[in-house]
Amino acid sequence: MEHHASLLAQWLTHALGLAQHPWPGFAHGTPLSVLERYDHLLNAALAALLAMLITGLVRKNLARIPGGLQQTFEGVVGGLKEMINDNIAHHGEKYLPFIGTMALFVFFNNLFGLLPGLSPGTSNWNVTLGAALVVFGYYNFHGMREQGFVKYWAHFAGPIWWLAPLMFPLEILGLLSRILSHSLRLFGNIAGEHVVAGIFFGLMPILLPVPMMFLGLFFGLIQTFVFTMLATIYLSGAVSHEH
Amino acid sequence: MKKFLTTAFLFTLAAVAFAQVPGAPQKSLFEGQFVAHLSLAIAAAGCGLGQGKAVVAACEGVARNPQAAGAIRTTMIIGLALIEALVIYVLVAAFAIK
Repeated sequence: MEHHASLLAQWLTHALGLAQHPWPGFAHGTPLSVLERYDHLLNAALAALLAMLITGLVRKNLARIPGGLQQTFEGVVGGLKEMINDNIAHHGEKYLPFIGTMALFVFFNNLFGLLPGLSPGTSNWNVTLGAALVVFGYYNFHGMREQGFVKYWAHFAGPIWWLAPLMFPLEILGLLSRILSHSLRLFGNIAGEHVVAGIFFGLMPILLPVPMMFLGLFFGLIQTFVFTMLATIYLSGAVSHEH
Repeated sequence: MKKFLTTAFLFTLAAVAFAQVPGAPQKSLFEGQFVAHLSLAIAAAGCGLGQGKAVVAACEGVARNPQAAGAIRTTMIIGLALIEALVIYVLVAAFAIK
């Protein structure tokens, strides 16, 4: 896959006068600055900063009579809370901060594909893999904390003891492949959408990319929802006690 | 009809396979971008069928019991995402082949 650094990274490279040199085994030896090489990290960090800035702004200006931004965020938090309560049986709300953070991070990253000069951080596998690994670590940690170390790992062996040697490796494989599917789904959707929008832009820069950008907005939202929903379902599977 | 389509497909493949330039280095048909595009098309076709069935079932469910719309929508979106993931794997593989 060719490497296209975002305009922001290129502009920053020129503005800061960063040195450009070829990277071994990357982009066929095109000379790139460190910002252009790690473009996805720049964009992901920007998205995270933007999310923090906006949520901080909402938090600072909390009012009894909410304005537009506060209402939007109340809707988002309410929706997430409802989703978590639907999926996690008891005391689900203590996971709301983590789930909400992941949702906002992924959402802002997805929407960066629509802003001129930026590229979505989630269109690089490294970013989505990081997000999926964080989710993976989080639900395993809380699974072990809620159920106890032995009981958590024992439930991968299944209910029938003589099937355990067969079930345990399979379940562990399934657990590990969740990282792959969780990250590749987000990455593939956003990257594919971004590539198609780019091709449309190359065909005719005016008006033609608009439907694709609308689809990008829609897909960004849907993929955020799917990512968050799957994180909640994995978490619910890990922490729920079997009565 | 099925037999005809199969024959036509095989003949198309054969035409592509035999139309190689004599001097050019021998390269199998099933490597490079051609196979990426073909596999993506096949995956998209299967995904379209599967997602169509899922959406039909969800629509029927909502029409029969509009009160369950919320739960059905959530389940449907999760299911669609899981079906779609298979195409996304092929897309990633197609990216990797280039």
